[in-house]
Order: sequence, then structure tokens, then C-alpha cells
Amino acid sequence: MTALLEIRGLSAGLQGRRSVTQVVSEVDLDVEAGEILGVVGESGCGKSTLATAIMRLLTPPQVLQSGSINLRLRDGKSVDLLALSDTALRQLRWRHFSYIPQGSMNSLNPVLRVGRQMMDTLIQHGLSSDEALARSLEALELVNLEPKLLESYPHELSGGMRQRVIIAAAVSLQPALIVADELTTALDVVTQRQILQELAGIRDELGATIILITHDMGVVAQIADRVAVMYAGKIAELGTVNDIFEAPRHPYSQGLIGSIPRESGQRVEGLPGEAPSPWNYPAGCRFHPRCPKIFEPCSEQAPLLLAQEPDRWTSCHLYDAEVAADA
Amino acid sequence: MTPNPSSRAAEPNADQQRAARREVFQYAVRRFGVYLFTLWAAITVAFFIFRLVPGDPMNILLGNLTRAEGRQRDAAEQEVIIARYRQIFGVDDPLPLQYLNYLRKAFLGGLDLGPSFVEYPAPTRDLVFRRMPWTIGIFTTSVLLAWFIGTGLGALIGWLQRSQLSKLAVVISTLLQITPVYLVALGLIIYVGYTWRILPAGGPYARHLQPEWTWEFISSLLTHAILPMLSNIIVIGAGFTLGMRALMISVLGEDYLTFARAKGLSPFTVLKDYAFRNALIPQVTALAIIVGATLNGTFIIEVLFQLPGLGTLFVQAMGLRDFNTMQAVVLFSIFAVLTLTLIVDLALPLLDPRIRRLA
Repeated sequence: MTALLEIRGLSAGLQGRRSVTQVVSEVDLDVEAGEILGVVGESGCGKSTLATAIMRLLTPPQVLQSGSINLRLRDGKSVDLLALSDTALRQLRWRHFSYIPQGSMNSLNPVLRVGRQMMDTLIQHGLSSDEALARSLEALELVNLEPKLLESYPHELSGGMRQRVIIAAAVSLQPALIVADELTTALDVVTQRQILQELAGIRDELGATIILITHDMGVVAQIADRVAVMYAGKIAELGTVNDIFEAPRHPYSQGLIGSIPRESGQRVEGLPGEAPSPWNYPAGCRFHPRCPKIFEPCSEQAPLLLAQEPDRWTSCHLYDAEVAADA
Repeated sequence: MTPNPSSRAAEPNADQQRAARREVFQYAVRRFGVYLFTLWAAITVAFFIFRLVPGDPMNILLGNLTRAEGRQRDAAEQEVIIARYRQIFGVDDPLPLQYLNYLRKAFLGGLDLGPSFVEYPAPTRDLVFRRMPWTIGIFTTSVLLAWFIGTGLGALIGWLQRSQLSKLAVVISTLLQITPVYLVALGLIIYVGYTWRILPAGGPYARHLQPEWTWEFISSLLTHAILPMLSNIIVIGAGFTLGMRALMISVLGEDYLTFARAKGLSPFTVLKDYAFRNALIPQVTALAIIVGATLNGTFIIEVLFQLPGLGTLFVQAMGLRDFNTMQAVVLFSIFAVLTLTLIVDLALPLLDPRIRRLA
């Protein structure tokens, strides 16, 4: 079975006066149909840039440098989202892939009623206004919102309601892929939990594939099937949620998992140092200055993301048989 | 979140609607109260401040009379005349009494603002009414045109912020905006009016015509109005363009713009419903603010283009220390500015649903 989304060699950065500072470097990632893939990492590790690049919503000074993103459409054909024209891409948006942006609180237009903002999109994608209304009502029901909300302005809604409206809008055309960036960050834990449950329900009901970008390991543990751990613009480790949480391999993942408080009284281990910014990514393995298991090749040679087992990828020299043999 | 099956129909609650209407009404009433208070405060300040200007209008009036008659009167005669004038103008009473009389006559006496010194014995009111259409015509039309042009142009160059043309437009607008309006007016008079002789640059209409409803007169009126209005439009319009551009650029960075693009809306819909609609709200407020700030520019333009508006009247009155007329001009300008501002403020809730609630 081929993946729904195939990201190959994706690099994106920030355009400076003379040069581009790379934020996301050579990311390869396959997203399987129907799964929830969590992308985790610290602030500034490039998760959001990755999400925006997948949505092809990078705005200057953000620039795409290279790569391809192949999305399998319903008819089985595959298109490279990065190679399409703007017009062609617009046709695919929302029908095939939709977006729940970071900052969902401010993602609704303050001067238009909620209903208008949901329906204008559906009408743009060829639905009649009756169909658009029916679809919007269905979508609101999926996230447990009342139909009369369509008459409201965004400022009349609470944060949780606005977040739900965004989710409802994102699923209203039943896209195959939903990219959700920091879905629950601004919400209290109770609302977080409800919304995550709703999202999982939507996946089950619509068979959607969800890429969930977050820095919250708890959220990932709750609903993701697989996890990609990002560090300094690269994927450090990729595996099932159980593998990553129970037996993390990459020293960064180990540190990340180790820093989650588990039982009361147990001391939480933090990671020493701080994440590098894109302006000074270290040479070699980008994690090596903070790595407790640093050895010879780490400061010179960048490790590759290699599969150790099916569905278990690590980008670390410790797990690269050739490098380990040399050292 | 309590899903309530009984209220599932998509109709807004009648109570809520009534409450919202009441809020809008209260907003309008409050806004009108502020309007009346500001008007009163302005009248009061104008009343006292012009009486503090050095120079006695009676002496100036006497001087004019002397020159007109071509003979010097003796001191006693002069004093009798001045005393007579002072009585006519009611300036012998104590200042607070004068002030109360002024208010009484102005509001209860059918806008009787006293006799004018400039054209004694014509009432100040008539003088102002005769001049006002010029000022309102030139000023209102040019500010509104400047606003529409500036808003459209600014929205466009903000939307196309990264194109070369847009950058050039910003440089040009900045230069025009910082140019004083009288320099622009003088430039237009010198080049367009006299050197190239494209358009008339002085007077309200051609000298040989009389005001009447003929095409000849109206077209002369309009061609004479082009340059004065253009001076205003260039400077004010450049300001509105820059303002709208900045508003557009900041709105373009908003999360809801990214989301609108992610939804696959057409660029035109994104521009119209998402970017423009939101940038328009502060731009309308800017119109209200600019209206007051640019009226004095219009006065200068009137003088430069020899238009018989309130500006030229004010300059004449100033020369004679004619405080009745000066007061009246200030009063009517403030009245005009405040009324325009009021209209703008009352229009805001139509544009911004948040104001309907917060007001």
C-alpha cells in the first residue's frame, strides 16, 4: 500500500538579505492513509514550517527551497503539491487536504458571521448554497456545536467554540488529509481532551488522515498512531507511539520522553542546553552538542534517517551499522 | 457547551436581538451627547480666545471710516463714534454677560451671531451662510474623493506589497504626503494655471459670468474647482493611501488571512471579504480624524485660489479683529467637522460587529 502523502527532500527556510537560512532540512516522511501522525519537537524546531510547507502556505520571508510532496487523490492519481499551479492547488484545497492552523483563536474573520465563513468556502468549491448549509450543519454536529452558531460572530464565541468551528470548517468537505498545527495549545485541559476525542471521532467516521503538530507529548500519547520527533529542522526519530514512548532510541527522544513527569515523587530528567536556532545549526549531527552519547563521527558527519525495523526510523550514528563499525 | 435541542433552529433569539438594538441605540445617544458637549466647548473657547487677540476692532473700524471719508475727526467726536459702535456690538457689558447673551441669541434667537464688523451692518450669520457652500463644496468633495481614491489605491498597493510598482507608489505617496498643501496648491497654480494654461487657477468662476443655472456658468464653476480640489486630493489622498496600505499589510499577516487562503478561496474573495473588510474599519476612523485636521488646509487653499469661502472670510475678519465673524467661522467649521465625525462614528457599527456589542 502506498502512502497517502509522500514528502521527499523537503527543505524550507527564511529568506535573509543575502542568503536563505534553512529551517527545515531534507525532510522525508510518509503518511499512511487513516493514521494520526504526531509531529513533536521543541519550539523553533521547524514543525510549524513543515506544516505550512505541506499546506503550501509559506509566506515571505519563508521560502521553499526544494523537495516534493506527493498527495494521493481519491481517484488514485498522485500530484506533487509543490509543483501545481496556484489555481490547480486551490481546487484541491479543502476537498483533499485541509488545515487547522496554529492560532485557531484568530483564524476566523472577525467581521463575517461564522456561517458565512464556513459556507463561502463550500460555495467556492462548487456546492450550492443549500448544500453548503447542510454540509456546515453536519460539520458543526461532528464537533458538538449548535446550528444557531452559524449566526454568530467569532467574538461572541469562546476559545473552545472557535477551535471547534475551525475543525468543523476543516472537515466540512471530508478531506483525506488534515494538518492540525498546535490544535489544543491555547485551551484548558478539559476542553483539550474533548476536542482530541472529537478529532479521533472524525478520523474514525470520515477515515481522514491527520498530521498533528504539537509540542505536547501528552496530546500525542493520547491520540497519535505514529510519532515523528523533530529536532533542529530534521526528523530525529519516527515510529509507532508505543515504540517511541516505551523504548525511544534517539538520545533526543530519550531525553524528551524522560522529561515527562510520570509518577509523583519521581525526579524528572531534563535535557541539558537548549535547542539551536536555524541561524546556528551545529555541523554534523545537530543534536551532538547536547547529546549524552556523543562519539567520534557525531560532530562531523550528519546521520541519515534509516530504518532499523519496518516502521522504526532513527537518525543517529548509534543505530547506523556502518558508522558504528567504523568507530 | 450545553447542546440544547429545543433551540436548534438557526434563528437568533428575539431577546438577544432586542438587547442588541438597545445597545446600538444607547451608543447613538451617548455619541450624540458627546457631540453636543464638544460643540458647546468649542463655542466657548472660540468666544473667549478671540476677545484676547490684541487690537481693538473699534479703532480699526474708525480708521477705515476715517480713510473712507478722507478727513480726520477730533478726539471728542471719535470717542462718541467709538462709544456708539461699542454699544451696537454690545462689548461694554462684562464678559460673562456678553457670553450668556451670545449663547442666548445664538441658540434661541435663530442663530443670531451679532453684526459683522467686516460688512457692517450685515449679520454675521448671513455672511457665513453665503460663504459656506464654497467651503463645504470644495472641502467635503475633495476629502471624500481623496478617501475613496486613497483607500482603493492603498488597498491595492498593500495587497501587491512586494511588487516594484507598489514600492514606487509608496515612495511617491510619502513624498506627496509630507508636502504642505499650500506648496502643492502653489505648484498647481504656477504650472497648470499660468505656465501651461490648462485650467483656471483663480476665482470661483470666470469673471464675466453671473451665477445662474446655465451650462456655461456651471462648467466654469466646475473647471475652477478642479485645481483647488486637486491640491487637497493629492495631499490628503496620499495620506489615506499610505494609511490603507499599512492597514492592509497588517491585516495580511493575520491568522484569518492564512486560513482564508488555506480554504482555497479565490484571491478576489480573500482580498474583498477578508483583507479589505477588516482594514476598512480603522480607515473609516481615520477619515473622521483627518476631516478635522485638513479643514485648515482648505482655508489656505481658498485664499490661494481666491475663492469666496469661509477661509477668505476668516482672513478678512482677522485683519479687522472682527471677533463676531471669526467666532462664527470657527463655530460653523467645528459644526461641520463634528457632524461629519458623528456620521462616521455612527456608521462604524455597521462595519464592525464587535463595536455593536462593546458600545
